[in-house]
Amino acid sequence: MKRKAGRKTKSARARRPRPGRAAAKTRPENSIDALVAASAQSLGLALDPAWHGSIAFNLRLILRHAALVDEFALPDDAEPAPVFHA
Amino acid sequence: MLETAAGDFAWDSAASLAAAVAAGRVSATHIVEATLARIRERDPLLNSFTAVTERRALARARAIDEARTKGKKLPPLAGVPFGVKNLFDIAGLPTLAGSKINRDLPPAKRDAALIERLEAAGAILVGALNMGEYAYDFTGENIHDGPSRNPHDLDRMTGGSSGGSGSAVGGGLVPLALGSDTNGSIRVPSSLCGIFGLKPTYGRLTRARTFPFVASLDHVGPFARRTRDLALAYDAMQGFDADDPVCADRATEPVAPHLDKGIDGLRIAVAGGYFKGKTAEAVAAVDSVAAALGANRDIDIPQAERARSAAFIITASEGASLHLDRLRARARDYDPAVRDRLIAGAMAPASLVVKAQKFRRWYREEVLQLFAEVDAILAPATPCTAPLIGQQTFKLDDVELPVRANLGLYTQPISFIGLPVVAVPVPLAPLPIAVQIIAAPWREDVALRIAHALEAQGVVAAPRPAL
Repeated sequence: MKRKAGRKTKSARARRPRPGRAAAKTRPENSIDALVAASAQSLGLALDPAWHGSIAFNLRLILRHAALVDEFALPDDAEPAPVFHA
Repeated sequence: MLETAAGDFAWDSAASLAAAVAAGRVSATHIVEATLARIRERDPLLNSFTAVTERRALARARAIDEARTKGKKLPPLAGVPFGVKNLFDIAGLPTLAGSKINRDLPPAKRDAALIERLEAAGAILVGALNMGEYAYDFTGENIHDGPSRNPHDLDRMTGGSSGGSGSAVGGGLVPLALGSDTNGSIRVPSSLCGIFGLKPTYGRLTRARTFPFVASLDHVGPFARRTRDLALAYDAMQGFDADDPVCADRATEPVAPHLDKGIDGLRIAVAGGYFKGKTAEAVAAVDSVAAALGANRDIDIPQAERARSAAFIITASEGASLHLDRLRARARDYDPAVRDRLIAGAMAPASLVVKAQKFRRWYREEVLQLFAEVDAILAPATPCTAPLIGQQTFKLDDVELPVRANLGLYTQPISFIGLPVVAVPVPLAPLPIAVQIIAAPWREDVALRIAHALEAQGVVAAPRPAL
């Protein structure tokens, strides 16, 4: 049966594991910094330390927008928009 | 009728120029020479061109004049000069896409498909136009080429990323230009420079041989100072092209012959909620257009703010994916503001990007349902008139926000699902601002008919700057 799309209920959100809480005392600022450093390494991007703050700012902005999308409940059978035609 | 008092054709419409050439009242060569002279004189102020294709343009003009002398019937845009955002391939030039890095590319071997189509319709390419680096921009600023400047106030932004296109058309250098629009890059410069812009349905116009940005969001389209010119250019560029994988296999649907049909029977509403203007100018512009059209109904575009966020994430991620190799090899050659956004985009979790694409389909279905009730929706094109060049933040609803990311506040939720839009300039003083006329997919005709009716009433018009 199709699940109705819409904003997630409080209980649905509450069931979701919260990475921030699981990581106990890690401050969000530190986790973004760590994500920037780890991602740069795994992607093979050599970052000048002077760029770090601006990249972290932009990543934080992306994640803030992503959170707005993430909190919107979609059914499991929701198809992504781009369709490849063979 | 030609407005040739000054003899420079600066403010003539494309349609009137083509008619004058076809009738032998003026030669294409004369028009091109006057255009080149105007570019030499005014572009040092506007900074809209990055290359001028003088020799090619004069050769093309001579060929048109020769054809007319031989009694051949001339095509609908014969002798009309145009420029293209420098992400369109021009044979013999590297395709800069506003970057320093692309200057090292070999020259393009063939023109972009839309240049070929416009030239087949008789138009004459006169050069490449300034733009924000790799199109990741709403300001029209560029650290490599300098900012394109707003013809109504040279200290102000053109909007971007098709900034040179806005400046060249709004400043009277050319009557027609091409740009691209991923999140608003045709509609934002149209608004800030006070000209008409058409962002067609996603997949309507071929993007073949243009430098991409976000494949699933990239559109291309024309700018002009008159709706008829927009329609003539659009009609000349329609048609399937196998060289663009997303170009729709649809028959051409010419709009120019139907422009005068008027708006009788069209149901027009104003976008409410998220799209309610955040400044007095944006409110005044939408109100005046709505009043002229008798549009007294508000309609809610559901989840528009979330749609903008989803567009933001997809843009960051797809854009980053396109540039990853260059970021590894030549990160220092990017504009730092663009580089840092792209690098951050490369770090966005894939699961959230896919979720944004899933939301996109949900949102599309919801918005398409609205078009069972209405034929067109009005919304502001930008939250404000042109900010100052270099301005970092502005206040909207008393909240301080970054200019660069927020000029596309109202355009992003619309291009996100590829709807066709005509941006129509409302000539407020001292600076113009545009309104979006949004139609259902493949109904560019509806948006253009409404724009034409508004133009006939004098409610929308490209104001002539005092340059």
